[in-house]
Parts: sequence; C-alpha cells; structure tokens
Amino acid sequence: MRIRETALVAAREVRQAVRSRWFVLSAASFLVLSLGLSLLGLAGAQRSGLAGFDRTTAGLLNLALLFVPLVTLSLGGLGLAGELEDGSLAVLLAQPVTRTEVYMGKYLGLLGAVASSIFTGFGLAGLAVGALAGGGNAIAFVQLVGLAVLLAAATLAVGTLLSAALGSRAKAVGGAFVAWLALVYGSDLGTIGLATARALTPGQVFALALLNPVEQARVLGTLALTSRPEVLGVVGIFGQDLLGTNGLSLLLAAALIISAAGALGCGWALFRKAVVP
Amino acid sequence: MINARNITLDLGGRRVLDGLSFFVERGESVALVGPNGSGKTSVLRCLLGLVPYRGEARIDGYDCAREPIAARARVGYLPQRPCFGDATAEEALRFVAHLRRVEPGRVPEALREVGLECHARDRARTFSGGMQQRLSLAAALLADPKVLLLDEPTASLDRDGQADFLRIASALRRGGRTLLLSSHRAEEIAQLTDRVLELDGGSAGPARPMAPLILLRPGRAAP
Repeated sequence: MRIRETALVAAREVRQAVRSRWFVLSAASFLVLSLGLSLLGLAGAQRSGLAGFDRTTAGLLNLALLFVPLVTLSLGGLGLAGELEDGSLAVLLAQPVTRTEVYMGKYLGLLGAVASSIFTGFGLAGLAVGALAGGGNAIAFVQLVGLAVLLAAATLAVGTLLSAALGSRAKAVGGAFVAWLALVYGSDLGTIGLATARALTPGQVFALALLNPVEQARVLGTLALTSRPEVLGVVGIFGQDLLGTNGLSLLLAAALIISAAGALGCGWALFRKAVVP
Repeated sequence: MINARNITLDLGGRRVLDGLSFFVERGESVALVGPNGSGKTSVLRCLLGLVPYRGEARIDGYDCAREPIAARARVGYLPQRPCFGDATAEEALRFVAHLRRVEPGRVPEALREVGLECHARDRARTFSGGMQQRLSLAAALLADPKVLLLDEPTASLDRDGQADFLRIASALRRGGRTLLLSSHRAEEIAQLTDRVLELDGGSAGPARPMAPLILLRPGRAAP
C-alpha cells in the first residue's frame, strides 16, 4: 500500500464528507449536544458540588456511546456502497491505484472527518467548562476524547464492513441501523437475557462484553472517571478483580483496537474480490 | 497493445465471457459490438480489473490482474455513466492529475480542450449528460494515455452531444491512440473504428457454447 495514493483518496473522502448533508447535520448536532450537556452539567454541579470536568465527562461519555456509533456506522455503511451504486467507484478504480489504497483511504478519510467533529464538539465543551467552572479531573476529559475517537475507529470499521458486504446504499443504511441497535441496546439486553436464561458466570458475561466495542468503550470510559464498583457494573467489577484497573484499561483499549482491525480486515477481504459495476 | 487470452467471466451465476481471446494492435481503433448482455462492457471491466476473471489480459505488455497499476496507468477510461461524486470539475481533474502524477497546472488546459473552462468551479453532478461526458473525457486524456477504453460513450447524449463527442473522439483517433470502444451506434462505429469485434452468445445456455470472436470487417485476427 502506497502512502501518497492512500492519502490522496483520504483527502478526497474528507472533502466529500464535509459536503455531505448527513455528516454536516451529525457534526452540528454533536456540537450542540456536547455544549448543551456540558452547560446543563455545570448548572447541576453548582447545586451538587461536583467538580466541572467530572460531571461533564460523565455526561459526554453517554453522548459519545450513543452518538458516535450512530454516525460512524451510517457513514461507513454509505462509504463504499454509495460509490458502488453511483458508479464513481468504477471511475476511481480505473485510475492507477490499488483496491487496498482505495479501501484504506476511504476509511482513514472518514475517520479523519469524524475525529475532527469529535475534537470540535468536545473541544468547545471542554473550553466552556474550563472557562466557566474548571476543577475536577481534566485528564479524564482528555481521555474521553481519545476514547471517542477509538470507538469511532471501531464502529466505522464495522460500518465499512457492512458497506462491503451489502453493496447497496439502502441495504447498508438498514444494516447500519440494525448494527447500531444491536451494539448500543441489543447487546446489553441480550447479555442480561442470556445470563438469566443460561445462568452465565461473571467470566462469561465479561467475555461477551469483550465482543462489543460500545461496551468496551463504556467500561473504559467509566474506569477513567471512577473505580467505584457500583458504577462499573458486573463487567467492570469482574475485570477489575481479575486484572486490576490498569490491566483492565489496557485489555479494553486493546479489544477496541482489535475490534477495529478485525472488522476492517473482514471488509477488505470482501472488497478486494468485489465485482464493481 | 491489448492482448486478451481465454478470458472467462462468471457474474451472478451466469457465464458472461467464455474463453474470449482478441488482440488490438498499437494505434488501432476497434469496436466491440453485440446484443445487450453479450459482454461488451464486461470486456472493458476485465481490462480495468473491476471484476475477477480467469485467463490473461495484457495492456502494453502489463498483466491487468497482476500488474494493475502499471496497466491502468496506460489507460484512459470513459464510462457509460460518468460520476465524480460531489467534486467540482476542477477538483475532479486535480484528483486524477495527482493520482496519475500529472502536473496539476495541466488541469485548466484540459478543461479548455473540452470546453468546460467556464464551469471549472461548478459541481460535476449539476452538469448535463454531455458536459459530464466531456469532463470524463478530459479526465481520461489528462495523462495522455496510450490506450482509451470507451464504454458506450454517447449512449446518454442527445444529438448535439453525440456530434460534439464524435468530433473530439475523431481527433483522438487521428492522434494515433489505441481505442477500444463498446457501442451500439452505427455512426459512432463507422466514424471511430477500423475494425469491429462482435461478441455473440453472452446469454448462451449450457447447450450452446459461446461463439468465438467474429471479425465482421477485414482486419487482424486474434493470434
């Protein structure tokens, strides 16, 4: 894979994303929600006595866990499938560029666009909190920004895999929505159901959680804020007992990276053999 | 310049090309003709590496499957439905220029050559079919490729657009490029090509094997 050609495709993807109404709407909503949650958090902090950054980070973690997968799954889903459908992928692949360069360029370009949106949203929220309240754990807030980008990398890879597998815009968007429901809500409910019906051990529940990047990010983000067991949940408590706080954090960060690499690799395996109409 | 040997392509469980072989000499202009579904466009897609095929296809000596970058660097491609996403005409050509390592300063000249210099900053998707086809031609010619693959280039154009395109393409033919054109239009074929290769039997069932390439006009046969 040549870096120059991959960077050219990535830059083209960033330009296209910035012009896409869906991306602009998502980025604007993310910015408004980040600022809104931060300011609401600050208002509550004055009454409860919690420090500014801690409360804001907790609020923004939930926003990131809901919003980042929604945006990245749909953007990733539309990425290859949209260009396959409108014929621009055939024009691109007729140039002296390999499929790997196109695939990675598109992924990295979209990740760059999403990361910029996260930096802008969380960055402005951080500035607002710093200016109005300060105090609390600013490092956890910075870790949250990194975690949101890591989560975006994993779920964007899942979206890209769906795009390569389903091949049409409508199917990819539908698949992205189902995947979002499954990762954000279905996984929790499924685990609870399984744990109840099959009497799963905490170790088995922990292993199931390691399959879901949203759950990995939830526990990792919570660990950055607090190590109180009543907040961490069964997965966090079991992992912390097994590995300690640092060990669990490392394992979850590695699991997020492996999720991203695994989904990206599966998508590439499909795309390299795909028929381009 | 283009050498295809025993190309077999299966798509969606259907055999589209069955052991197809042909040869196009340097500077020659050849039309691929045949009924819908006979595999004209598929031949071009094989040469561009857009579909996985069996057999061997070479452009200027480079294997289209094993050396795709070198092979495609020698090819300009004009699709039936050009699409440049959300890019402006200038951005679309600059992108191609960067990928093909052409001096970006050549872009305004390329737009002028196809009469689009006044639309450089307009989004390509707002263009008429004729304008999109001219932009696509500018992109295909930007790196001065040795081979042009044209896929029913006037299929979506009105009469004026077709005349415009034929005028530009005739000049290209006189310039000594190798042209492989998929087309249904007799006027286009007569004006642009030296030889016709007819693909027959794209929809052939198992009992009727696909017929080999038939030369309708005098020319060089596949070796």
